[in-house]
Amino acid sequence: MEWLQFVLGTVFLLTGLVIFGIQIFGVFRFHYVLNRMHAAAIGDTLGLGVSLIGLMIFSGWNFVTLKLFLIILFLWCSSPVSSHLVSRLEAGTNERLEEHLEVEEK
Amino acid sequence: MSRRKTNKEYEHTFAFRFFRWLNGEKDPYLNEVEMKPQHYEGPSDETKAEWEREHKEMLERVYDTEHNALLKFSRIAYRVAAVLFCIMLVAVLLITVSYLPPVGNPNNPADNVVAERYIEKGLKETGAVNIVSGMILTYRAFDTFGETNVLFIATTCVMVLLMLDDAILKRQEVKNDRRFEPKNDAILQVIAMILCPIIFIFGIYVILNGHLGPGGGFSGGAIMGAGLILYVSAFGFKSTQRFFNEEVYKVAKITALCMYGLIGSYFYFTGGNGIENHIPLGIPGHILSSGIILPINICVGLEVACTMYAFYALFRRGGL
Repeated sequence: MEWLQFVLGTVFLLTGLVIFGIQIFGVFRFHYVLNRMHAAAIGDTLGLGVSLIGLMIFSGWNFVTLKLFLIILFLWCSSPVSSHLVSRLEAGTNERLEEHLEVEEK
Repeated sequence: MSRRKTNKEYEHTFAFRFFRWLNGEKDPYLNEVEMKPQHYEGPSDETKAEWEREHKEMLERVYDTEHNALLKFSRIAYRVAAVLFCIMLVAVLLITVSYLPPVGNPNNPADNVVAERYIEKGLKETGAVNIVSGMILTYRAFDTFGETNVLFIATTCVMVLLMLDDAILKRQEVKNDRRFEPKNDAILQVIAMILCPIIFIFGIYVILNGHLGPGGGFSGGAIMGAGLILYVSAFGFKSTQRFFNEEVYKVAKITALCMYGLIGSYFYFTGGNGIENHIPLGIPGHILSSGIILPINICVGLEVACTMYAFYALFRRGGL
């Protein structure tokens, strides 16, 4: 049981690490704000979630697990909202938006 | 030397780009990643020339630099004195360093009984389970009082520099490019409605729990300040001013500082004169225990929360 916990936790943590790597790669690879933000959001939600699940498996059933779960909930609430605000600001302030993406005329 | 690939094919490979980057021939981010220099509109050349002319005129007319013997002497004396002062400072510091005890010596003054006493008798004397909290708020309460004063003075200075009148604020609102900021965002408001109470409760928990576990006034106050900032960015300054305006800010901040001063000075006075103070220590581990630590933590928390929020509001808009 103990080594199963160890293996599962390690697998989750390593997956999270790989996702963080992809995030950093994407942030520096893409050129436009919205694309880069999209790449960064992968790490903020999926990467953090997976690595914290790995830590939860390591700690077992106790109060710390509940705290980690609350951290995941908090980050999943706050990170998409901040990305949404950044994208809204970009859409509101960039005067040449149609160079980068299709704009729906209203 | 034989090449399997032609030069043109080689230019498409990873190795070519890697070595080009390694030799510094081309910056991979130049012209690729979005980078715009900031446009700065400084004063025009005419204004600069006028400034220069005024400066020269002032020097000539007021100081009469050509014929003022005292000014000439003081300039030379100032330079000589500056050089001498620097040399003396260097000498004093070097001599002090040469008197420092060697690292790792067990007889060093740093390895004295103080640290041992904190660990061994800290729980009994302060009643705080969290030794760090007991240390900074009882043994070293004077030091922490200074820190709290620093926060107070810092916000006061920022207020002096950045606070604007309401009329100027209204005029700026039209001109400012802040009007492009997403205001009254529905998603942010819903999330803030869910998160703000939780953040406040967590901040209060951290403050009240400062003597029982990790936490205390500084960290809890920072959390509460972050909650206030989230509330402001979601609902705007108008709705925040219903419960946190300048009056509330002033009252909370000054009351907190004065309370800390009063409690602290009572504690120092009785402790310094060997009189028994009448603040009960309570049972270690209970929420109402450990004497002056809990009220002081509350004061520090209020102070820090106000400071955080005031900095944000003043730098963003120039008013609370």
